[in-house]
Amino acid sequence: MAHLVMSLRAVNHRLTSLPVQQLPAIAASLATSISECGELLSSPQSQKTGRTDSDHAVQVHKLVTRLSSLLQDRTFEGRWVAVVLVKALVEAGQWEILRGSEPFVRGLMGILNKPDPTSTKTMAVITLTRIFHLTYQYPTLVREITTPSLPGFITSTLNLVSVKPPSEPTRRLKPNSPFLEVVLCAYSELIARHPTIFRPFTAQIHSVLQAIVGSKSASHSQSVVDISEQLFVALHQCAPKNSGGEEWKNACRMTITSIHATANHVLRAVVEQWESVDPLLRQQLGHSIDYSSEVGSHGADALGLTGWRGLDLGVDRLLVLMRMLSTFLKTATATTVSIPVGTILDLTARLMSVTVPSDAGGVQANPSISRTEREHLLTELPRIHAACMRLLRTLVNTLETAALPIAQTILEQTLWVFRAEKFNKRIRASVYDLIHVLIDRIGPSMTKKNVSSLTDIIRTSCTDILPQDIETSTKNSISEAKGRSKTNANAINADSFLNPNLKQGRQLIGASSSNKFPRLARAASTLLPAILTNLPTEYLAPPLRAEIDRTVIMTSSKDAMFASVLNPFPAARGRGASISIAPFLVRSYASGMDVEALIRPRMPVLTNTNAIGQYVAPEDDEEEEEIIDPVSASETIPESTGFLQPSTTPNLQALVDSKSTATTTTTSLSKRTYTEEPALQTQQPSISSNTSTKPAGVQIKKARVESTVSASPLDQSEPVSSTTTIQTKSFKEDISMLDVDAAASSSSEPVAVGQTLVSQVQTATQPLVEDEDSDDEMPTLNIEPDTDEEDEE
Amino acid sequence: MLSECFIASTSASAKTPASASLRDVGICLHELQPSATLRSTFKKSSTAPNCLAVSASHIFAAQSEKATVHVYSRDKGNQEATVPFHERIRSLAVAGSKNGDIVVLGTEGGRLILWEVCTGRQVVTTASHLRPVTAVVVDPTTNFILSGSADATIHVWSLVDLLSFTKPPSGRDRQPANSPIRTFSNHRAAVTAISVGHSTGRYNIAVSTAQDNTAIAWDYRTGHVLRNFLLPANAISLSLDPVDRAFYVGYEDGSLQSVDFYKDHSVQHPLHDPSLQSTPAQIPAEERWLPPSADSGAAHTLTLSYDGMVLLSGHENGKVYSWNVGRRKYASTVADLTHPVTNVIMQPLAGLYQQAASLKRVSHTIVKPRFDHSLSENSQFAGTVPADYEFNTHILSEATSARPDWFMNAFSNACFPTSLLEQGLAELAAVGQPTFAATAPSSNVAMDIDDSTKDSQIAELERENATLKQKVSVSQTARQVTTEEVTKLRSDLANLHDYINELQQKQEQSHREKIRREARKEERAARRREAWFAAEKKGKNGDAALRRLDSEEGSETSGTDDQSSDE
Repeated sequence: MAHLVMSLRAVNHRLTSLPVQQLPAIAASLATSISECGELLSSPQSQKTGRTDSDHAVQVHKLVTRLSSLLQDRTFEGRWVAVVLVKALVEAGQWEILRGSEPFVRGLMGILNKPDPTSTKTMAVITLTRIFHLTYQYPTLVREITTPSLPGFITSTLNLVSVKPPSEPTRRLKPNSPFLEVVLCAYSELIARHPTIFRPFTAQIHSVLQAIVGSKSASHSQSVVDISEQLFVALHQCAPKNSGGEEWKNACRMTITSIHATANHVLRAVVEQWESVDPLLRQQLGHSIDYSSEVGSHGADALGLTGWRGLDLGVDRLLVLMRMLSTFLKTATATTVSIPVGTILDLTARLMSVTVPSDAGGVQANPSISRTEREHLLTELPRIHAACMRLLRTLVNTLETAALPIAQTILEQTLWVFRAEKFNKRIRASVYDLIHVLIDRIGPSMTKKNVSSLTDIIRTSCTDILPQDIETSTKNSISEAKGRSKTNANAINADSFLNPNLKQGRQLIGASSSNKFPRLARAASTLLPAILTNLPTEYLAPPLRAEIDRTVIMTSSKDAMFASVLNPFPAARGRGASISIAPFLVRSYASGMDVEALIRPRMPVLTNTNAIGQYVAPEDDEEEEEIIDPVSASETIPESTGFLQPSTTPNLQALVDSKSTATTTTTSLSKRTYTEEPALQTQQPSISSNTSTKPAGVQIKKARVESTVSASPLDQSEPVSSTTTIQTKSFKEDISMLDVDAAASSSSEPVAVGQTLVSQVQTATQPLVEDEDSDDEMPTLNIEPDTDEEDEE
Repeated sequence: MLSECFIASTSASAKTPASASLRDVGICLHELQPSATLRSTFKKSSTAPNCLAVSASHIFAAQSEKATVHVYSRDKGNQEATVPFHERIRSLAVAGSKNGDIVVLGTEGGRLILWEVCTGRQVVTTASHLRPVTAVVVDPTTNFILSGSADATIHVWSLVDLLSFTKPPSGRDRQPANSPIRTFSNHRAAVTAISVGHSTGRYNIAVSTAQDNTAIAWDYRTGHVLRNFLLPANAISLSLDPVDRAFYVGYEDGSLQSVDFYKDHSVQHPLHDPSLQSTPAQIPAEERWLPPSADSGAAHTLTLSYDGMVLLSGHENGKVYSWNVGRRKYASTVADLTHPVTNVIMQPLAGLYQQAASLKRVSHTIVKPRFDHSLSENSQFAGTVPADYEFNTHILSEATSARPDWFMNAFSNACFPTSLLEQGLAELAAVGQPTFAATAPSSNVAMDIDDSTKDSQIAELERENATLKQKVSVSQTARQVTTEEVTKLRSDLANLHDYINELQQKQEQSHREKIRREARKEERAARRREAWFAAEKKGKNGDAALRRLDSEEGSETSGTDDQSSDE
């Protein structure tokens, strides 16, 4: 404590002895010293007894009085320093300082009305807000400090940013006030805590916010508009008791009505096919629109925003209102509110049903509107749709599990827009983001048709991650390799023949061009892991899965590679092993903790010992390790020897061949293949089992019969895992250390590898027989397209 | 502080509780750790097993022998509503674990009722079960419902399909709407309990027990059997380890048993090892964990603590026992609720740091179910969301605050950030020296000075500028002048040098001439003397000769002078 008193004394000394003009330079260090003395400043006064403790009290008192007088100082510097130090003091002292903070509050309020520099006033606003914020948890302090001074604070801050004409309840915004942002931030911080104090000012604040939100040009920065939208939504909290929810709902409904009204004008160049599900709204929108004049709205709309003129401003207004509606959905509310989910979906259905027409036409043109306006509208449509999708994403994020009933509806709206406007990068990025949150919710129970409707989106996301040129170049090279000498339209570029490096160069250029819109690449690359994780993998078409895997490998995205390894494509029945990109993952991220856990799992098992749930002594630990270590080695070595060729080579043909020959070779191997049959069936939840449950049951029974047959010749005393024991036998020559007991005890450490490694282990033995074959087919990156060909055959 | 609680419910019985605090109590919130004490109670409820569900804000209790569900508010601590249904409810579960948005009810008649508690929407499925639905669970992805019935089948339902307004395109056209997607019929007798694994991946498992003395671990995504377990008795309650390593069953005699998936030594995952899937595992009867007293009655319900190391069981005699999972035996009696304890549900740990932030919204009150006519009957807008579909909730999320970073930094940190202080210092410097204020380079330092003063400053500066320019021009001209002078002087100097050289040459010349003249004079004098001497010798008067010579000389000298100058 002594050093704290010392540093406090040093602060006091500097504050009093140095001339005021020199104080700003050391203000930062003084503030740091004060906040380091927090322990001292916040300790209760009453407990201080004795001589040294009274010294504490004296020093604290000195500091407080000095700062109070500095707040009233004649010079700018003195007041500036006072504001900086008061903030630090209040933060450090907590209740002990807060209870005496009344003179500070008065001084700070005085600064707001003086001609001080911007930063002094800004910091004064922040400091006052902080004091009000900190006192909130102490009702007595709220009564003594906040309640008396908060109305004055609101008035003087409103005066900073606006002018109140006498005899009017509303306010006019001051142009280019530097305080706008900080004042709005302060309000949104305080309004939820002191709604009753803000209540008399709601009309004034509302008028200021209307002016900001409804401003025609980009006169306010985005952050100012954002914060004012948030504050606009938060104003409902000032409503009298129990009517807050009603206010919120009214404001939300008015925003929706306002959007509809704006859309009436903006979309007048086309004939809309949409019809509202809300009969009330259908009536409201029945009014005819004047087609003769320039597009625009004259009077104020439902929200009280001013009229606009010209399509550009109309679209801007539409976007602002859409963002406002999203803000409604994500801003904290005072009470229970009812989110009009049905109406919001009705709105997005309207806006998203008008799409950019394809060649075959799509929207019906309104004959009374000029072609130029229609074309202008069609170029603006992607922006509107991106805003719609942002709104929907907010809705899904807010509703979480309750979004299940509407997820399918949203998905269909999204697919509709994507089909028409996928040429637009902004649309693509928004679609990826929205699809991501949707399949997080409903992915696992998606049907096959549903998944196939996403195919187009998945393909485009792959090409958005990888530049398009790689696609074409690899395809070209493959087709050349296959000897299909077709004259390609792309091959006209003679330079590419003369200089093979050109492809590389173009690839780099392509990569850099995708960097120009980083949001797109980011959205696409977060979508892929979500797809692999959530969708039923058996419904993804094999060529599509191959494309995803290739993209994932090329980009070396760890998440996506993990998702692919953990959700392998189920092996087709009779085709042998499943495909896994695990080697690529391990090569790229061998040192990662999660990769380690995947390859060499150490999941603790419930054991029979009494020591469970306790930290055992180190000797026990070592013992355990001794048991485990040789085992895990013996497990991994056989895997790694034979593992690379079959599992990564998705060359199914070779595997099928090897299987037919394998049955004739050794008895142990023939047993293996029998036991493999049911394994394949577990991994392949065949499509037929989904269409009807009965055939699946039959298959299962059949499988059971087979496996019992295979199990019977095995040693009955140890019916553990036929595959393992056999496999270890086959590698016995290689690993002389291996003994069966160790293998058995090894499995006390369970292998929760999932299907991936399991299937790899199964296939690991086969290449031994087919060595000369598999040598020819070493895994390469371009192997996936090969499998595509086969699947098509 | 970290604390762990559980919620237990009882069914009514003839017994009267010993303590007054337990009178009429049907559901109680009981603390397990740090001290086993009763926290709060909810009255007037009698529930059968599998008929209690808990969300963050509410407790739902289906009443035994009645067609009603009691809803209790956990915030207010009272009964909020009694919701009537058309049929008796035999099982109940909550979907959407965090918020509990959807309540799934299994009815006496073999159908499921889905009730969205925030909207009041209600969806009824087909009566796919032939007997009452006795167990309902929802999987961790909130996509599937598993319902077990006394008819020995378990149906798997897609929650999304059931709830969606727009029906997804499916290949299941031949089947009626709102029917299960899969049926699991490996049990031979009434299903007593179902439990779902804790994974959201596609290899998640389900474990179910039935009255045929079996427990089956199976894959509910495919309907494939993973493992059969032959139990020594009829299991009536079930709980699954948090890491899915084992499950625990409770029997009618009050004893418990754990079944460890990893007991067998296998390199492969034991549940996914095909060679084991057909072989039922015999669970020996002597490994059962025996209850402390023989009159404990059936273990109606089981639940596991957060760390999976304490197992709680609710018994017919009204006691809640705690069991040590590691030692595999009874540990202590946690509570005595007099009436048969039918449900015990462990609550998540309170006091973990990130937990409070995770709840994005809360529903304080439920909306009673209303039959959704627009769902099925409305043909005109089939597949669209009705306009009056509203979601009642209280949004709490402040996670994505729109307030800019600079404000939050300044607002919540102990000191103002340096960037703000530096800006202030720059402004102070500008204010301190007002004459040079405009020269301050920082553009974002917005001065709070009126326009008039600015104008005057600008004017002053312009004036100053003008005078400075004038001065510069003056000095420039002055310099020009001096340089001109210097060049002139330089040229003068050169001229003078030339003059001096000329003069020197002249002087030299004159000097030479003088020497020559003197030489000539001497010569003449010598000649005169010679002439005088010669005249004297001849005897003539030397002087007269001299005079004659002089007269000669007068004409001669002029002539010789010319000659010499010519030479």
